[in-house]
Amino acid sequence: MAQHRAPRKHTGTWIVIAVLLTAAVISTLWVPIYNHLTPALGGFPFFYWYQLMWVPVVAILAAIAYLLSRLAQRGQAANDQPLDNGRREAN
Amino acid sequence: MSGNAVALTIVIIMFAIVTLVGFAAARWRQAEDRLHLNEWGLGGRGFGIVITWFLLGGDIYTAYTFIAVPALVYGVGAVGFFAVPYTIIVFPIVFVFAPRLWSVSRVHGYVTPADFVRGRYGSHGLALAVAVTGILATMPYIALQLVGIQAVLTVLGVRGDWPLIIAFVVLAGYTWVSGLRAPALIAFIKDTLIYMMIIVAIFYIPAKLGGWSHIFSTAGAHLAQINPKTGKPFGSLTLGPTAVWAYSSLALGSALALFMYPHAVTGVLASRRRYAIRFNTAILPAYTLMLGFVALLGYMALAAPGVPQAVKAHGANAQLAVPFLFQKMFPPWFAGIAYSAIIIGALVPAAIMSIAAANLFTRNIYKEYFYPDATPAQQTRVAQGVSLVVKLGALIFVLALSKTFSINLQLLGGIWILQTFPAIVIGLYTRWFHHWALLAGWAVAMAYGTIVAYSTPAPGVPGSHFGGSTANVPGFNHTVYIALTALVINLVVAAVLTAVFRLAKLSAGVDETLPSHYHADPPGLRRPRVPITRMTVGKP
Repeated sequence: MAQHRAPRKHTGTWIVIAVLLTAAVISTLWVPIYNHLTPALGGFPFFYWYQLMWVPVVAILAAIAYLLSRLAQRGQAANDQPLDNGRREAN
Repeated sequence: MSGNAVALTIVIIMFAIVTLVGFAAARWRQAEDRLHLNEWGLGGRGFGIVITWFLLGGDIYTAYTFIAVPALVYGVGAVGFFAVPYTIIVFPIVFVFAPRLWSVSRVHGYVTPADFVRGRYGSHGLALAVAVTGILATMPYIALQLVGIQAVLTVLGVRGDWPLIIAFVVLAGYTWVSGLRAPALIAFIKDTLIYMMIIVAIFYIPAKLGGWSHIFSTAGAHLAQINPKTGKPFGSLTLGPTAVWAYSSLALGSALALFMYPHAVTGVLASRRRYAIRFNTAILPAYTLMLGFVALLGYMALAAPGVPQAVKAHGANAQLAVPFLFQKMFPPWFAGIAYSAIIIGALVPAAIMSIAAANLFTRNIYKEYFYPDATPAQQTRVAQGVSLVVKLGALIFVLALSKTFSINLQLLGGIWILQTFPAIVIGLYTRWFHHWALLAGWAVAMAYGTIVAYSTPAPGVPGSHFGGSTANVPGFNHTVYIALTALVINLVVAAVLTAVFRLAKLSAGVDETLPSHYHADPPGLRRPRVPITRMTVGKP
């Protein structure tokens, strides 16, 4: 890799974020999990309600990931400051 | 007045309101220098969380959602539902890479993906490839919007091409005047109408048709009938063994491709703050939920008495399924509102897409190769003109390609745009790939994807072209989305050639970015808001 980031204290947090997001991707792309009609729910065959159910789930996972990333970045801001070359706008 | 006349009147009134808002948008949050491309093309880079949400939603949920996806579900069943996993996994993907793109673009003032590629690799050739691909891939996507508008007008009984032409002249007019501000402001109206239409449709229609389980079983029975053209059933409520790979590869390929489109990148870069992008990945799935239920309108259309017959009577054009469903189910005034939602839902993204493609042309082709000293005002003028040309290009796709399933227009765009993924997204993380190797990988994959798509016939019409977006992969024996196969070829070519070029010690070009630029989070480009009373027309 050509790039190396500044040393991080929040590797654990980023791993949790990666796990949350990967779970959403695999659960919706792995078709054999849900490619059947039963059990139906409220008239919806399993194929349909399972995938629709993942929509709010992915929203919640992304919200958790967002909050975690904010926490991690807040902790990191102090480290990043000197690297910024004064590119930050004086505001 | 007949039902259609009532509906048509409402459509015309809504269209007039949207037109007024579109032209008035030029004065919304107006800046000192209206003719700077940052202003016309990125709305001043000052959009917060809420406007970013509307803008990205407007980008993503288009006639694709309201016409093309339900048409596919109507025609072939479960396969059409791939749009749901597609619009689920796209958000984790955006969460990961979009903030890096935002940061590096903010530090260096990049407006387009090709700007980034040029800065990262110091390669004009690769940047040109990315720009050309973006413009090319946008055209069939805009074409899909036209097909959506046409479907509504057909069901309304409007004949001839002139209504479509009026719609596009007006669209071109306010895009010219207001730039990105017009679609961003109209997106509010569009989304209000669309949410209203969806909520009514998913409660009212199933109640009228006898419940969801009746809808699914009737649709399943319809799909099980034998298609006389192919000698096989039309489809089914779950995926057959041959469709499993097609389903997940269509979802994955579309999700990887979406944020390579210049218009989606525009939506990301117009955001004022870095965190607004990640925050939006948590609230944008609201649109996905809507998309899921809209897809099921295809089954409601199969189950609604009179709709399959009406579609058959109009040349079995599946794109008409949803408009006919509304006509048969809703009172005329509400059908009018629903039609307005579809039409405006096609016009907004068409405007955003043509602006983004115009930005690409102006910055990465015109300024780069023809007129390096162009002033910001000249650039904006050129972009305004190109946004018009791109819309005309879209018309050619409408006329030239098969319309059995209009979703193939978007999927064709996806085959092309996905080939810029290695240069853009992988480039956000590593400079390992050599820019000549990336260019070669892109060229091979573009050629492969185009040839395979060209030689794919529409189902039951041997000898036709561009009739589908999935093809059998030799040696793998599964049907896979052509875009994904081409991407694999792209990456293999790029990796092998990079190894060769590195051994040959070929110059890797200059990288103007630094690792810290990918995390930078400068505060928004704030400017004093112009109070309402001081709003002026033209340059102050």
